[in-house]
Amino acid sequence: MPKSVYISFAVLTLVYMELSMRVVTAPICAYGQAGCHAPSLADLFERVIQQSSRMHGISSDLHSELEQYFFPRKNVLGKHKCHTYGILTPDDKENAQRLGREQLTDVILSLLAAWSDPLSQLHRSMSQDQNQNFNDHSYSKALEISDMVHELREGVAIMAEKMKLLGVLGNTMGYISPESLVPSSAFTFYKQGELNSVDHHDLLYCFRRDSNKVKNYLQILKCTILPGLDC
Amino acid sequence: MTQETGATAAQLKGYSPPGKPTLTRCRSPEKETFTCWWEPGSDGGLPTTHALYYRKESSERVYECPDYHTAGENSCFFNKNDTSIWVNYNITVVATNTLGSAFSDPVDVDVVYIVKPNPPEKQTVTIMEDKGWPFLRVSWEPPQKADTRSGWITLIYELRVKLEEENEWEMHLAGHQKTFNIFSLRSGGKYLVEVRCKPDHGFWSEWSSTSYIKVPDYFHREKSVWILLTIFSAFIFLILTWLLHMNSRSLKNCILPPVPGPKIKGFDNQLLKNGKSDEIFSALMVSNFPPTTSSNYEDLLVEYLEVYVPVEQELMQEESKDLHGGCLKCERSTSDSDSGRGSCDSHTLLMDKCGETKEEGRHTDRASSRMLTEAQRHQKGWEKDTLTYAHGDMVSPDMSNGRVKTWPSVFSPLPQYSSNPLDKQSSLEMAKQHCLSTSSCLTQPGHSTKEALGPSNWDFCLGNKQPHLLHPQTQVGRQLQAHSEVNISNIGRKQAPAGLQSPALRSTEYVEVQRVNEEDLVLLQPVVSGCGRIEGYPQMPKGKDYSKVKGVDSDNMLLLQREVMEEDWCPGVDQEINGGTGNCYTSSTVNTTQKPTACIHTAMPVQGDMALAMNGYVDTATMCTLPTC
Repeated sequence: MPKSVYISFAVLTLVYMELSMRVVTAPICAYGQAGCHAPSLADLFERVIQQSSRMHGISSDLHSELEQYFFPRKNVLGKHKCHTYGILTPDDKENAQRLGREQLTDVILSLLAAWSDPLSQLHRSMSQDQNQNFNDHSYSKALEISDMVHELREGVAIMAEKMKLLGVLGNTMGYISPESLVPSSAFTFYKQGELNSVDHHDLLYCFRRDSNKVKNYLQILKCTILPGLDC
Repeated sequence: MTQETGATAAQLKGYSPPGKPTLTRCRSPEKETFTCWWEPGSDGGLPTTHALYYRKESSERVYECPDYHTAGENSCFFNKNDTSIWVNYNITVVATNTLGSAFSDPVDVDVVYIVKPNPPEKQTVTIMEDKGWPFLRVSWEPPQKADTRSGWITLIYELRVKLEEENEWEMHLAGHQKTFNIFSLRSGGKYLVEVRCKPDHGFWSEWSSTSYIKVPDYFHREKSVWILLTIFSAFIFLILTWLLHMNSRSLKNCILPPVPGPKIKGFDNQLLKNGKSDEIFSALMVSNFPPTTSSNYEDLLVEYLEVYVPVEQELMQEESKDLHGGCLKCERSTSDSDSGRGSCDSHTLLMDKCGETKEEGRHTDRASSRMLTEAQRHQKGWEKDTLTYAHGDMVSPDMSNGRVKTWPSVFSPLPQYSSNPLDKQSSLEMAKQHCLSTSSCLTQPGHSTKEALGPSNWDFCLGNKQPHLLHPQTQVGRQLQAHSEVNISNIGRKQAPAGLQSPALRSTEYVEVQRVNEEDLVLLQPVVSGCGRIEGYPQMPKGKDYSKVKGVDSDNMLLLQREVMEEDWCPGVDQEINGGTGNCYTSSTVNTTQKPTACIHTAMPVQGDMALAMNGYVDTATMCTLPTC
């Protein structure tokens, strides 16, 4: 007799909780549409910087994994360059500060755009690699960073829009499409040798560096636009 | 020419080109400048110069280090103008002396990944309170050189805390924040705090300088805790006491179990309380204790061990020595009523010991029978004599005895006798003496001591020098095997004419104690006599012959005095074998210095004859074989 009472009581409690406590999802709308809970610029910056930091970490891991399997090179890149050499990036603090926030945003967006395509091809290429130098983690990481690049690019774009909306960012952004700066077939840029095999190591080395640039530029942008406790 | 000769001259002196230098590390404190250090190789004995060359990525142009001095010896400092981030530097160091130069291995450096900042600065530690409980608030500033304000460098911080007397630090990761709270402080403790930082991808800085802080005593807080503890423990204590009290009785029984009191028949507590001692002790007295002469002799009699000890049986005796008089039982007696008998007679004891030595006994048996004529009986110790043989079968006529029994406990304390030719014969007597001695100890005057003849008592009065009377038992114990005795006697007689070298020839004579009468006369009954009875001829012993023990001399030799000889008797032959006669007994020889002049069975009174015995036994058979017989 008491057992059934307990069971029914528990069921009633659960039903009540189910009905009373509901998780409400609130979509984030960058454009401040009605019904959306628009995130603040600080939130956006926070998310974007976190994403870029994570992306850089994963690319570093991938690169160090490759370093293990290959004998360490004396000449990194050798005579080769990264395919984003056309994008002029500031290489020290003064230059970066001198560049201005709009151009810095442009550079960030250009870099992210330049890497979208090669990274998506990277995963495919790794699975086809004859050397079988990669394990399962490497494949998943390659897939992850290619996704991240796409998301980050969209996120920065949204943030730039927000900044423009807020008047933080001027409208003098000359967003140059990456096709003019970057070789048409970025991925083939890393192909070497007669067999046209892609050098994954070089590609990842370049991407690691560029993701670091992106992160750093975003941090500079944040501290320029929103100076606060974190800066 | 001169240069070459100079070089060769230098070489001849033992100088050499410099060894290869190595680049040890490159570090940047703020991601705006960096420094590289190298380790020179051997200088070859000549003054050597070092130079650092670097090449930037994707450029063939080689530059030399702009500054060799700012960062100290063997270093190269790259200032802001020369430093490019996200650019790969290929750096090489060259050591040169007059004889040659050496190139180091090139090193690739990207400044982003070699950042090691300075320690955090302006560190402060303060004590703050949170609802009465104190805590430490640590705050600091990033190193001055690192530009975190513009976002160029992002640092994460870590601090560590420990008490002054401790050895281990407690680590806390503070993330990007520049303050941190530490709780759970020890009252009155002195704390040490240190902080360090690290860029996102780089090296940890050194620990900052230590800050010391002393926490004030918040005694009142701790006091309340102690008060609570005291009350709680007092409460528990009360409960325990109450529980103990409730269960005191059962606990007492568990821990200190009561000692069972004596259960004495006839003991009356009430009498004791009344305090009249006479009544108490009279109540204790059981009327028929100790048992009087009416009780059965047979219950008290002890069997004897007849021992043959031939010379070559010494080995056997050695082996069986440790049985110290243990029995070599041949008779498989199954049941033993064990009435009135002690451990000597114990049937189980016999079974154990006899089982061991059965094999030995067989050997000794056969040999002993052959060696009966052996006159030299210088044995090591007479206890060895006592356990020479047993035999299981009566078939062989050579077998000396049908049954061998012993009193192990009796014979063990007699090690002092040795090398006595008459050991065997006297052993029995001595055993008898001990038996008698102990019996005298236990008996009270006026009481028949037959009951004291139980062999269990015979250990106690060792060496008792009280004079006893050895009375040859007229009645042979029914446990005795008559035919065996007759065997002995026969054998003894066989040997006697062959050569009466010594009374020790016959080793199987023994006397049995029948009882001790009122005057402390031990009544002995010789079980062997040369009375010429044939085997299997059952005859009850008639009458009593006894020898009075004159005294015991210093050597524990029983001085026997022949007295009234009663009628001729012969040891009862063919006594039915009692089921319980698992006794072991030993016979021994009598060391007679003065041979009695009369046999027992001749019924001639012999006065003043002394038969010295090594033990309590009188070898009447010995006397019988004297010329008078």
